[in-house]
Amino acid sequence: AGGAGAERPQVVSHVQQALSYTLFDCKWVPRSARLLCLGSAARGTGVLQLYELRAGRLALLREIEKAKPIKCGTFGAASLQQRYLATGDFAGSLNVWNLEAPEIPVYSVKGHKEIINSIDGVGGLGIGEGAPEIVTGSRDGTVKVWDPRQKDTPVANMEPVQGESKRDCWTVAFGNAYNQEERVVCAGYDNGDIKLFDLKTMSLRWETNIKNGVCSVEFDRKDVNMNKLVATSLEGKFHVFDMRTQHPTKGFASVSEKAHKSTIWQVRHLPQNRDIFMTSGGAGSLHLWKYEYPAQRSKKDSEGAEMGVAGSVSLLQNVTLSTQPISSLDWSPDKKGLCVCGAFDQTVRVLIVTKLNKV
Amino acid sequence: MPVWLRGHSWRQSGSAVFLSLPVPGVRVTAANIFCTERYLKVSVPPFLFEAILYAPIDDTNSTAKIGNGIVFFTLYKKEVGMWESLTLENASKEKLQYLRENAVLKAHEKAKEETEAKKVTKREHKKYALEATMKLEEAERKRIEELKEQEKQKVTKELELWKDQLKDVENQKKVQKEGQLHEEVEQLKEKKKEKINKTSIPSEETLKTRLKPTKGCRGSCSMFSENLKEEQLPAPRSSGTIKINFTSRVFPTALRESRVAEEEEWLHKQAEARRIISADLSELKDLKEEEKNPDWLKDKGNKMFATGNYLAAVNAYNLAVRLNNKLPLLYLNRAACHLKLRNLHKAIEDSSKALELLTPPVPDNENARVKAYVRRGTAFCQLELYAEGLQDYEAALKIDPKNKTIEKDAEKIRHVIQGTMQN
Repeated sequence: AGGAGAERPQVVSHVQQALSYTLFDCKWVPRSARLLCLGSAARGTGVLQLYELRAGRLALLREIEKAKPIKCGTFGAASLQQRYLATGDFAGSLNVWNLEAPEIPVYSVKGHKEIINSIDGVGGLGIGEGAPEIVTGSRDGTVKVWDPRQKDTPVANMEPVQGESKRDCWTVAFGNAYNQEERVVCAGYDNGDIKLFDLKTMSLRWETNIKNGVCSVEFDRKDVNMNKLVATSLEGKFHVFDMRTQHPTKGFASVSEKAHKSTIWQVRHLPQNRDIFMTSGGAGSLHLWKYEYPAQRSKKDSEGAEMGVAGSVSLLQNVTLSTQPISSLDWSPDKKGLCVCGAFDQTVRVLIVTKLNKV
Repeated sequence: MPVWLRGHSWRQSGSAVFLSLPVPGVRVTAANIFCTERYLKVSVPPFLFEAILYAPIDDTNSTAKIGNGIVFFTLYKKEVGMWESLTLENASKEKLQYLRENAVLKAHEKAKEETEAKKVTKREHKKYALEATMKLEEAERKRIEELKEQEKQKVTKELELWKDQLKDVENQKKVQKEGQLHEEVEQLKEKKKEKINKTSIPSEETLKTRLKPTKGCRGSCSMFSENLKEEQLPAPRSSGTIKINFTSRVFPTALRESRVAEEEEWLHKQAEARRIISADLSELKDLKEEEKNPDWLKDKGNKMFATGNYLAAVNAYNLAVRLNNKLPLLYLNRAACHLKLRNLHKAIEDSSKALELLTPPVPDNENARVKAYVRRGTAFCQLELYAEGLQDYEAALKIDPKNKTIEKDAEKIRHVIQGTMQN
């Protein structure tokens, strides 16, 4: 499995850095060799650290402390020049920071009543079209979409019906943003529900239940006609949905795979190749996968309605880096194969995956 | 008494003695021959031959050939020389005895030494084999390590190259921007100059101050280009709300695939239990409609328990059980009544029956199970069966570790047990 096979991609550990706080999220700063670590210090405050990769080590450039611990962050809605960071914290506040002047947020709203578990941004970084928007999913069961130009109120709000007992939302992701109008948000909940919201028509487009809490969802590319969606869950399973063909009753076709033998915390697609993705597990392992499309991506069912055909997933490489869960993972958008992962053993690791060109 | 063999004959050369010994009628094997430096014995029951040799021989190299009814010995002398006779003739009985024993001892020692030597060689061989395999594995590991190291170095170099590229790009951009900015400012200046020339002639200083850009400042750079981009962005979306429902579920906990089978079983059992199953109760014909409903009877029982009328409560539960003996809560509540009435054995029975019916253990029936364990534990303790009582309390604690009352009671029982043990 983890052998030095001749043509298989290898996961090379480049740098390791021990931190003095609990790391919840780590992200590359676009167009740079810098990365950001977000987390919670022991005394209950939020920490942002900016590191730069220099000659085989991470040099700390800046450390910022905030009142509340920070759970997640994204550069997805920022412009390439400004590179503002949007964060969600434990108190339910969404803040957008200018890292050059981080004392006061550029945009701030107390969007949720409970911790913001997941955040995603779209429309920035020169990727895709349309307005920059940020989506947050929270333990209060709601998913809200924000536009940094509109204060205080979200531009979309997905909340439970009155009287419905709420379920925690654990993960959110944007997709289908291939022109100015189209956009979808996918949200995963702790009871196994996955819901797909269409922002153009403001409606629920699809929902399903994968029988286990959904830890992470991601489209393979945000800015194209939605192609594939990967959803990972507890109890070591993940599902890959083919999003090109929606059947009126059966929804989207999927293939599922068991891996890691523990919670699969994150899935991240390689920005340079949307059929390769990495999953991180609760036992400190990383698996690199490749999706292969079937011969025919859709077929007709007995009534003549189109339904999708799911392909197959093959394991390219796996490696165990830690004994604690690897809770965050991010590929560098600028250098193919460079990625950063953060684990609950208070270590951030920069890894390089080689031979991805030969896959 | 063994029969001594006397029909032997011998001859000798300078270095060896050749002894032939006829052994009539019996098979001789190697085990029957015993030979040391000075003592030779052949014992094939009932025959016996022994000889105390004249001089010592080399017993390791000497041979014995066993043929048909005859054994032929080739004994190599330790010292070259001619023997006067085969055996020591005028040896006293004690000397003979002594020599015999010595011989046996020596043989033993030799055997021991041989086994020791064998063991040592075996150990050496094993060690050698182990070391060899270790070396091979080490070599393999090193090879893999080296491959990985090479990979790592290659990759690090690439990374450094990429970073340098990034820096170059950034610098270029900066220079470009400054150039652009400068140009734009110059253009504006030109326009202003034109305007001014047409109208009036203001002081040049005001011109300069108004149009003074801060060169190289990121903020204003982006301000210029940002203004341009904003015009291209669509307006913020008009707000909307989507109301959602979650997948319906009987249990309050979130769905977990590994627990699905158990939960299905429990639900199935509950559903079955609610249907009245006992059919042949003819005496029930004259009961009122509501008195045939186990749930209604259970409620009646609960009310009577609350008012302290334990006997009546037991009656209600009894009737309910006759109607439907699969409802665990009936047994559970009846156990509580029996406890109050000090019918301790009945309380234990009922709690046990309730626990039986409360399988499989799911979060849904946690409360009921805790109560069942606690009631049974109490009954045991009141019967002075403290060990069993403690077991049940600990089972209850396992399900509900945060319950302080159960913890305290468990502690008390432990103390009682320790107290009785010390007595």
